[in-house]
Amino acid sequence: MSALLFILIFFPMLAAGVSFVIGRFGKTARSVFAAAVCAAMLAVSLILFISGRDLSVSVSGVLTGGLSLTLDGFRRLYILVISFAWTVAAVFSLQYFAEHYRSRNRYYSFFLLTLGAVMGVFLASDLMTSFVFFEIASFTSFVWVIHDQTEESITAAKTYLYIAVIGGLVLFMGLLLLWRTLGTLRIDGLREAAQSLSDRRPLYPAGICILIGFGAKAGIFPLHIWLPKAHPVAPAPASALLSGILTKVGIFGVVALSAGAFYGDVKWGVLLLVLGVITMALGGVMALFSVNLKRTIACSSVSQIGFIAVGIASASILGEHNSLAVTGTVLHMLNHSLFKLSLFTAAGVVYMNLHKLDLNDVRGFGRGKPLLFAAFLIGALGIGGIPLFSGYISKTLLHEGLLECAEFVSAGWIKCAEWLFLFSGGCTLAYMTKLFVVLFIEKHPERQTEFDAMRPCVNGASAAVIAISSAAILVLGVPSIAIRLASGAVGFLGGTKAGTAEFFSFEALKGAAICIVIAAVLYFALIRKATYRNGRYVDIIPSWMDLENSVYKPLINALTVIGEVFGRVVSGSADFVALAMRRSVLSSTVGHILSGATDTAAYMMRRTVLSSSVGRILSGSTDLAAYSARRSLLSPTAIRVVSRTTDQETFDSRDQQFKTSRIRKMHAGSVFTDALGHLLDRITHSQRFVLYFAKVRRLTYEMLRRISESFSFALIMTCIGVCVLLVYLLLK
Amino acid sequence: MNRFFLLFPILFPFIGALIVRNLKTEDTRKRNTLYEAVVVLSAACVWALILNRPSEPLTFYSFTDYFSITLRLDGFGSFFSGMSSTLWVFAMIYAFSYMADEERAKEFLCYYVMTFGVTMGICFAGNMITMFVFYEMLTLITIPLVVHEYNHESMYAGRKYALFSFGGSAFAFIGVVVLGVFAGGTTFKLGGYAATISQISRDLLYLIYVLTFMGFGVKSCVFPLHSWLPTASVAPTPVTALLHAVAVVKAGIFAIIRLTYYCFGASFLLGSWAQKVVQVIVMFTVVYAAVKAVKERHFKRRLAYSTVSNLSYILIGVTLMTEAGMAAGLCHMLFHAIIKISAFYCAGAVLKKTGREYIWELDGIGKVMPVTFACFTASALSLTGIPLFAGFVSKWQLCTAALSTGTPLGYAGVAVLIVSSFLCALYMINIVIRAFFPKRERDHFLRHPRSDAPAAMLVPVCLFSAVNIFFGLYGQPVVDLATNIARGLF
Repeated sequence: MSALLFILIFFPMLAAGVSFVIGRFGKTARSVFAAAVCAAMLAVSLILFISGRDLSVSVSGVLTGGLSLTLDGFRRLYILVISFAWTVAAVFSLQYFAEHYRSRNRYYSFFLLTLGAVMGVFLASDLMTSFVFFEIASFTSFVWVIHDQTEESITAAKTYLYIAVIGGLVLFMGLLLLWRTLGTLRIDGLREAAQSLSDRRPLYPAGICILIGFGAKAGIFPLHIWLPKAHPVAPAPASALLSGILTKVGIFGVVALSAGAFYGDVKWGVLLLVLGVITMALGGVMALFSVNLKRTIACSSVSQIGFIAVGIASASILGEHNSLAVTGTVLHMLNHSLFKLSLFTAAGVVYMNLHKLDLNDVRGFGRGKPLLFAAFLIGALGIGGIPLFSGYISKTLLHEGLLECAEFVSAGWIKCAEWLFLFSGGCTLAYMTKLFVVLFIEKHPERQTEFDAMRPCVNGASAAVIAISSAAILVLGVPSIAIRLASGAVGFLGGTKAGTAEFFSFEALKGAAICIVIAAVLYFALIRKATYRNGRYVDIIPSWMDLENSVYKPLINALTVIGEVFGRVVSGSADFVALAMRRSVLSSTVGHILSGATDTAAYMMRRTVLSSSVGRILSGSTDLAAYSARRSLLSPTAIRVVSRTTDQETFDSRDQQFKTSRIRKMHAGSVFTDALGHLLDRITHSQRFVLYFAKVRRLTYEMLRRISESFSFALIMTCIGVCVLLVYLLLK
Repeated sequence: MNRFFLLFPILFPFIGALIVRNLKTEDTRKRNTLYEAVVVLSAACVWALILNRPSEPLTFYSFTDYFSITLRLDGFGSFFSGMSSTLWVFAMIYAFSYMADEERAKEFLCYYVMTFGVTMGICFAGNMITMFVFYEMLTLITIPLVVHEYNHESMYAGRKYALFSFGGSAFAFIGVVVLGVFAGGTTFKLGGYAATISQISRDLLYLIYVLTFMGFGVKSCVFPLHSWLPTASVAPTPVTALLHAVAVVKAGIFAIIRLTYYCFGASFLLGSWAQKVVQVIVMFTVVYAAVKAVKERHFKRRLAYSTVSNLSYILIGVTLMTEAGMAAGLCHMLFHAIIKISAFYCAGAVLKKTGREYIWELDGIGKVMPVTFACFTASALSLTGIPLFAGFVSKWQLCTAALSTGTPLGYAGVAVLIVSSFLCALYMINIVIRAFFPKRERDHFLRHPRSDAPAAMLVPVCLFSAVNIFFGLYGQPVVDLATNIARGLF
């Protein structure tokens, strides 16, 4: 039996793959298959709901933290709601996507994947498992938002994705902190672990992180910004699920935390109460001014989520006495899921026929279309909290729960919160009146006859599911049934029993009456006066009043810019040092200057000491000296004179000597021999012989030089040396 | 197994690659088969060694009493060698297909296979000096791969890579020498031995640790020494994918883990100023690189910045100086390898198939290359840390490890991881959105027939994506293995 829990999660996921394959062959078969899968899920959920059995199962080792699932009263109720919503959406999709839509295969795959993931979130028995499926649901539902791939839907989808990713990461951080503080992430163990904690302070950062994570998905202020953008751009069946179910995924986490770790914690409750009240009022005001059909309904979701948050906050503040608040919260969650299913489906019918969503373009479309009229009216009256309808019960319970908080929080604040509560209720009624008047009472200035001819505007299957979902709202309007449904579910929210109120007492009806008065004032004084000009509804909210574009995006841009600049500066500093060095110490300029200085010195020296003129002067003077010397002392004449005198003197003395010696030695008879010898002497000492010998001697010298220089000579010498050495050694 | 088998995965790729490169055949198919055979044989030997580890170290040569070239296979070495060798086998298949019509594919693949041997050398090194030798060899052998295109950009990238790496090695050498001299040896021992050093003051040792950390930090891209990696993304995709996301950069991480846990010792560094310094540097790197990746418009360069960021994720774990931190770091080491290699392969497939390398050119490409971009989506989600994908498992491990230290910097580490995950979503998932959900008017591939990458490219990518999802669903074995390694039980 416990395996059924796995089937609830993984059967749609597997079916997603199957539907993709089927879609390759037949479009209709695929769409019907998807609807059949949802219907099967509905049947299983219904059986589980009726059987009323608690189940639980866990597998460790997989998915990091293990996979643990459980089924209790609240979860039984909610998986029924989920599978019901999916079935309605799947059946409605059959008609909605019938024509001029592309990428339907993708849509259906992610449609079923998201069903499995959402089931996983609600069935999870610990926050870790819940987180895993929460992330899957974020990413798979992203594909719905971006489905149309228009400029608008891509922008919205990116916002959605970023918020989902940031939310997911902060949630992850929060879970880590909570796990570190409490040592457990089991949802039913949180309360016990938190109560046994001596120091509760570390619990708050963890709680705030988790609140941001789940709150972003739920659309709680200040992370609601994606919701009015993303819900309207998705295809209508997907919008219904996004608003009706996907926001509850976030609420589920907030409830688990508030009823667990922060059970009876006044500080936490006040924080959540403040956020809830702001969300509630802000969403209502935004919806008042919106001029787009689906956007109005989406803003309304923000507002209703605020109501639910107020309920959770009251339950957290009240602790043990929270029965009214928890019952109100459960019922309002349930109601809101059904209202949005019904309203978005109705909006889908309008869009399917007209492909327009601007209120000015869809005026009068609903005239003469009874089913649409009935469905829309039931939804509007329900959400508006009109007595006899389901919204009245849940809002009354929430209101009384809020009043009970005065015991724990200063009464002035509670009074303030109460008035904002009633104001938001009035807003709800006012914008629903606005939509109702636009669709069913006013007439389109040009196309009214065309609109009237669009009948029937839905096919049989769609009509049936619209009727069924409206009927469900009516059934929940019966107090006893509603309380009975809630009684099984309040345990999850930390309640012990379902509380009930005197729904038709004067006090309760007074609240509804105040709401109606406020609504009337808002509708006639504000909507009809301020936003209805020249026969058209106009958006009078200036464009800068957009939290995303005027606060978040500039903030993120600034942060990334600061980060990048800082990084650049740091990483650039090393470069800068290198550059500075190159520019200063190692720069070519310094090099130029240094080498230039040498150049200059050389140049200056050349110009001064070594200049050519000085040189010329110097060398000139030498020349001059030489010249003058040559001219005077060394002149050929002088030399000649000198040498001649010297020669003459030498000759004279030699001749004298020779004469005297020869004459002294020579005998008279050897004069002839002397003459012969003189002759021979002349011959042998002739110039030619001298030259010849000089030549021979030069050649020999040259040859020897070459030899001595050549390597081989050296080698030979070495060899000789070695031989000598050898011989020497041998002899020794 | 006999300890001499440790030589086989180191030497065989060298010998094999050189032989195959010089074969006188023009048949590319035959040559590729032989290259693959070399890698497969070596990888098989690695796995045989891992499963049947030799107990004795293998010492070749001792310079002095404490400087020796020693090979030894321990748990951590097995982890890294098993991871790299397995990825290499599949990376080769992709490389053949990618390099089919490139010039000088023969030489490229030769170096590619040789790098395998060097990487195994780093894994099997038994002490710091041996690892340092192989670490330097890794730089040398991968330079030809980076400059493969021989154009101006790749030459610049190669030069930058070489300069950064050699500069880093010089710093790392300080630590090697100091440990060798003062601790009497650099043999890896879990728990370290810096506490036994009494000759020099602790502060000096811390300083030396920081310097050595930054030295090895060049390869693991620690700010401000990271900038070579984005520049080197001009290299062919097989290089950027396997080497610049796995082998080379993780060798830097490997060296840092060896230094921190096996030489200095985590308990010695725990709580010291050195730990704080490196933690701050690493955390800054994570955020800075993620911001740069968001600003980057070039597909592969964006992935390169993402690698820089993710390498420092691992180091966030490592610098916690706890067993859990090291285990978490190891998990992310493996998972990031798988994730990033498949992301790079997708980028490479796009580049090969359409020649588009900038992100704004990718509008609508998901319809044309559905399988490639389905795999890319898996890696993008995994890198962001979405449950069901492997990246989440390691991110969870990192965060829990950081939180359980209870220090302010531990909490800061978690915050850094969260912030960078968001930035990661910005830079990765934006590509997915462009590919699958283009604005109609900007759809570049509106009437384009479906033409996906060739099977040889798709098979590794699909395989890695499947492993990515498998570990995302059932990551416990890896976590257990990493924990055992960190405790010294494996």
